[in-house]
Formats: sequence, C-alpha cells, structure tokens
Amino acid sequence: MKKIVYALMATVTGLVLLFSYRTSTVPESTSALADAPSSGVATVPKTTPSPSASASSGSSSTSSGSSSAQTSSSGLTDGAFTGQAANTRFGPVQVQITVSGGAITDVQVPQYPSESGRDQQINSRALPVLVKETVQAQSAEVDMVSGATYTSTGYRTSLQSALDQARA
Amino acid sequence: MTAAFTVVEPVMGTVASITVVSERTERVERAIAACVARLRDDERVFSPYRDDSDISRLRDEGLELGDVDPRVAEVAADCRDLRERSGGRFDAHWRGWFDPTGYVKGWSTDAATRAFDELLADGEVEAVGVNVGGDMRLRTAATSDHVWRIGIAHPTHEGELLATVEVVDGAVATSGTSERGAHLVDPRTGVHLAGPVSATVIADDLTTADAWATVAAIAGIDDLDWMPVAPVASGIVWEHGRTRRFAGRVEVSAFHDALVG
Repeated sequence: MKKIVYALMATVTGLVLLFSYRTSTVPESTSALADAPSSGVATVPKTTPSPSASASSGSSSTSSGSSSAQTSSSGLTDGAFTGQAANTRFGPVQVQITVSGGAITDVQVPQYPSESGRDQQINSRALPVLVKETVQAQSAEVDMVSGATYTSTGYRTSLQSALDQARA
Repeated sequence: MTAAFTVVEPVMGTVASITVVSERTERVERAIAACVARLRDDERVFSPYRDDSDISRLRDEGLELGDVDPRVAEVAADCRDLRERSGGRFDAHWRGWFDPTGYVKGWSTDAATRAFDELLADGEVEAVGVNVGGDMRLRTAATSDHVWRIGIAHPTHEGELLATVEVVDGAVATSGTSERGAHLVDPRTGVHLAGPVSATVIADDLTTADAWATVAAIAGIDDLDWMPVAPVASGIVWEHGRTRRFAGRVEVSAFHDALVG
C-alpha cells in the first residue's frame, strides 16, 4: 500500500512539475475542459507537497478573476485550482488540483500532452468523469451507454435500450 | 442541429444500435444496411457458435489459415501482436484453438462503420455512432461540432451510470463481468474472473479500445502496468467500488482514491 502511495505521489509531482513549466500562457476557458471539482473530499493524512507546487497555481476555477493562492504552513489554500494551459514540448498541459486541509487531495488533468494533434482532439475531452463528481449527476443526458457486453436478451433491460426507444 | 435517429438490429448474439445525426435519406439508409451487412458477414466467418463458420472449420476440420476466409488470417496476426503487447493478458489461443471472439466485435464494428465514410466526408451525415453490445465506434464529420456524450454503465447498480465521457471521433469499449456473469477468463491461468470488475477504454478506434478494455478487465484494478504501453487515450477501471482513471498514459485522481481507500 505504501509503495502505491509513493508511486502516486511521484506521479502527482510529475504533473505539478509539468504544470509549473509555463513558458507560454494562452489563457483558455476552463469551463469546457475542466471536471467539476470533487465535493466532499475526505480529510487525508499530511502529504505536504513541495512549495513549488503551490507557487504557480493559477486562477481559481470558482471565481472569474485570477487570484494567487494564499500560502499557509503547507503552502496551500483549501479549494479547487485550475492552472492556465501551459505549452510544453509535449503539448499543452493543464492541471486542476483540489486542496483540503492544506494537502492536495485530488489532481485532475483536463488537458494533457499527446504525441499528435489527432490524439489531442480525443484526449482533450476523453477523460471519464465520475458521475458523483459532476454537478448535474442526476440529469446526465447521454447519447449512448457503454457497458460490459450484453446479450440480445440483456439488451432489453439496458439503459441503451431505453435510449433507443426514445429515439426510434 | 440536425435531429438524430437510431436503428436497432440484432447481430452477434447481441444488439447493434446505430445512431445517425442526419436527415433520413435513401443514401443514409443504404449505408446503414451496408453497416449491418458487414457485421453479419463477419459473424458468419468468425462465430465459434456456428458449425459452418470459418473459425469452427479451422478448429474442427484441421484446416490451415490459407484455406479459410482471408479475414481470419488478418485477425490472427492482430491477435498474435496483441498477445505480445499485453504481456499475455489477452490470448486468443488460451483454449488450445483459435477463438478471437474477444477481438472480432470491435474490429468488425470499425470495418462496418466505414460504410459511412463518404457520407461523413461530404457532410450529408453529421455524425454516426455504432454501438454493438455496449462497445461503440463514434464518428463525426470534420465540418461538424458534434460531441458524443457517452455514459458508462455502473457495473452493479442497474440503470445507473458510473461515469460519462465526451468523444468527438473515437471509440469507447467496456469489458467486465457485470452484464452476463463471469465470462472473462484470465488466459494466463485459465481461471474465471470472479468480479465484479469493469474496465472502460477510450481509443481512436474500437479494435484498439475493445481489445485493451479486455486486457484492463483481466488485469484488474491493482494492475495498471499495461497502461503506459497501450495505444489508448484514457480509461477507467472499477472493481468492488474502487475506481482508477488514466489519461495520456498517466493515472489521474488516484491520489485521492489511494489515500481514502
């Protein structure tokens, strides 16, 4: 378990470093790309990130204006923060972090690198968003439903079947 | 925006839902018919449940690949490649004979969806999605701003969604134990997966998404070692209420899950 946590911390550090690397900054609207901030994030053990992690946190995703994060002892203020898209040699990178109790509790990558422009078209939208995270969890309207293979009998009770009937 | 309509056809022991964002012209109807015909013809060649399929004859009559439909040799080569890249997590030969059932549905859906190539190119069709048994190939014309909003079925709460994902042009596949009981077998051990486990993968095409969703489900939630080498865009793995997500070959949001879980 510990090993996993360390591995994940390494991942987070990597992401934050990418995020900090901001040569360019074409501010982009984050609303279309960013996941809704998770709600009800549990308090977690202290996992103090490096101070640099907070330094370049960009504009708050919850307010329209851009404001620098106030630093606390851990260097992080509670809330959800979305960085500006940064162009790296791997492509644009944009990270959203959720801070609770002075520690990073969630990291989202609304926009992340890929090797080709074609990938980017898919990637920029194709991060699955957990329904419990979204604001409109109950009213999530979808065009199609993906699920482990159903038989022709199982189809009748599937969500896809209900959608198909609505559009027949 | 143009209205969408859906056509439903039984195929491959399941159901194909073809949703087209376009006017319902004769040309569009012809493309739908061609799409379904391709799925059915691939079923005729590849079904292990039909004694007269090329796959069954290969198994029962001792034929060579050169003696049967050339599509079989193509798929066999793909499956060998996938077995290697997935570290044996996918293996069409695990039973001792060639059974590419876990591969053919995605591969065939990609091929069938090409029936809409011309219509998408000249803009008569704005977008088309072909969903075969819960795995789908999604296409959108370059001139359109259509975005497919896909729900990922919750593995254990029937009628509910686990997650949603937006795709312009690509494919979404889910593999797991939820819909018809334990039908996944780890080819490395021959053991049936107890589950419940569900893995969804998003990739450029359904051949890739379907194959790697199977790999992800077999691997289970504690094994994402295959992910950095997989040619996929993103995905989500669910097992016993835990989820892990990845995108762009990195894991996303696991920090929270790992600390709390």
